[in-house]
Amino acid sequence: METYLFLTSVVGVYIGIGVFVVGMAWRIYQWSTTPKSPVKLGLFPKPATATGRGAKMLKDTFIAPHSARIEPVMWLFAFAFHVAALAAFVGHGRLVVEYTPLVQLLGSDGMRTFAAWSGGTAGIVMMVAVLYWIARRTYGPFKQLSVPEDYFLLFLLLGIIVMGNHMRFLGHVSAETYREWFQSLLVFRPVIPAEISGSNVGWSLGTHMLFVNVLFVYFPFSKLVHTIGAFSANLVRSE
Amino acid sequence: METQAINTLTGVIDKKMTRQLKQYLDICARCAICKDACHQYVATGDFTYLPARRAELIRQIYKKYFTKAGEFVPALYEARDPDENLLDELYESTYACTGCRRCMYYCPFSIDTAWILSAAKAILIAAGKGNEMLGQLADAALMKSDNFEMFKDVIIDGFKDVEGKLKELTGDPSAEIPVDKEGADVLYVALAGAHSILPAAAIFHEAGTNWTLSMFESANYGYFFGDAEKARRIADRFMDEAKRLGVKEVVITECGHAYRVAQFFHEAWSGEKHPFKVRHILEVIDEYIKDGRITLRPGAITEPITYHDPCQVGRNGGIFEQPRDIVRAVATDFRDMTPNRAEQWCCGGGGGLVAIAEMEEFRLKSGAKKLEQIKATGARIIASPCENCRLQMEGLNDQLDLGITVKPVMDLVLDAMDLPR
Ligand code: SF4
Ligand code: SF4
Repeated sequence: METYLFLTSVVGVYIGIGVFVVGMAWRIYQWSTTPKSPVKLGLFPKPATATGRGAKMLKDTFIAPHSARIEPVMWLFAFAFHVAALAAFVGHGRLVVEYTPLVQLLGSDGMRTFAAWSGGTAGIVMMVAVLYWIARRTYGPFKQLSVPEDYFLLFLLLGIIVMGNHMRFLGHVSAETYREWFQSLLVFRPVIPAEISGSNVGWSLGTHMLFVNVLFVYFPFSKLVHTIGAFSANLVRSE
Repeated sequence: METQAINTLTGVIDKKMTRQLKQYLDICARCAICKDACHQYVATGDFTYLPARRAELIRQIYKKYFTKAGEFVPALYEARDPDENLLDELYESTYACTGCRRCMYYCPFSIDTAWILSAAKAILIAAGKGNEMLGQLADAALMKSDNFEMFKDVIIDGFKDVEGKLKELTGDPSAEIPVDKEGADVLYVALAGAHSILPAAAIFHEAGTNWTLSMFESANYGYFFGDAEKARRIADRFMDEAKRLGVKEVVITECGHAYRVAQFFHEAWSGEKHPFKVRHILEVIDEYIKDGRITLRPGAITEPITYHDPCQVGRNGGIFEQPRDIVRAVATDFRDMTPNRAEQWCCGGGGGLVAIAEMEEFRLKSGAKKLEQIKATGARIIASPCENCRLQMEGLNDQLDLGITVKPVMDLVLDAMDLPR
């Protein structure tokens, strides 16, 4: 268990973050150095001012109102997934630093309850959405359009979420203990608290992190670059 | 596949590579939300016509030859060579696309599949698989300008015939169709045939516009064929004429793609700013009506009438209200289709499809959604400012004997003008 955790939750994390940062920088560099076609590809109606175009781009990216009109069910799952993923991302910020003002507001018991509910909900929502996406890709035109990358990413996400949910729902390790582990990585003096490796979530953290690392390494080379590309592509729509 | 052939085709992608294209190829999630946006996919249920699938063929080549990940693990992306199989499917899906960009409208990332397919057309042309008919029509248009002296007299004679009809129509023996007139305010670019000249001429005459008629037609088969260089040269024919005559604006007739080419593509292609404005004839007519420069009999048309937004005029051209205002000014029973304006269904006639004989059956089939929309309005007349749309909707009408009349908007205006005839 110690070796597994050392590989996935120490070494792997450094590799994952390293490749992710360099890969994304490379991707953005490639995009920004490819000359933009002077042809205006905008769709009408479009706002007349730059501010209007910026606002429309943000709305199109975060709300995707047109997609909602044509495929409401898919939109609902996609929207729910992205909101939950954002919530989970923010929640994981507690690994870096405790949200002290929030703890002061809610009290430490309150904070624990709040984290359990919000994190738990996010985990369930993401899991359901990913299962929906997997199911969708098993039939008809969706299956025909899918390539191995699509399934690979979905199963990776599913693995991450299931392991996360395992820690959330069946584990008894506190946020403080996880923070101790993660902060030790940040100062390059990695330790894995015995409370984790000795508990029932040792292997789930290890597997969670294994999948997370693979996702981070693969991210810049996958269609997930839509997380940043969507903004500029949606801006082109209003130009 | 031979390295030589691969290099040629990937070289084409390299030349066509723009930031927009690169991002579109990198970010598509293959979510297939675009599926039900495409009239062709909806009507046929054929995977070949699913917008993202059309783009996916280019993505497969791109992944293999332009990305490290695709080079190392091609199987992950189904990355592959531009071989015969791929090119055959690409031909099928690319030249079928009408460029309506309805898929872009609904895509969460606004991926412009038609833009990706413009790279596909360049690849097909380089592989010697460009659509023959469209290529021939493009070359014929260039032949006309390259050997203009040969054609000039015939063209001008043709205009004289139309001028005779104009005199009758307006009852004004001095009415004329000016050609090659320096110092005119407006250069009107029509289509081949009197039907697109006469109504506009009568309207310009009535409004007292200082105009001149272009010797060249606005249709641009270079654009449909997918050769940007030829497309630019075809548009140059009247753009150069406009510069030479010093006009204040170029007015494009009721034609969708010609308007988009003139308004949105030509400056980018030629790298020069136009020293004149470009407008669609319906913008001009709407202005004449609102300024009282032409008077119409309100209620001239009492039959139920609907309006079809050509994709290149509406969603891709931004002209939604002027044509509706014109129709309302002459008709008592205007009924819009649902959905309309930016969400209007493509009729299926765009992309040069009406010129390709072997596409006819498919084209008419792909008009299923449009047909549904038309029937739902109960209209007896359809007005639409695009020749390709009109031909397609006439085809749909004939096929089912619906007894509906399809008309250019300016014909309605002409009908409602008080002319001696
Ligand atoms: S809707 Fe957009 S992102 Fe989704 S498959 Fe179609 S082109 Fe790709
Ligand atoms: S541009 Fe129109 S015809 Fe072409 S793929 Fe998109 S929806 Fe279909």
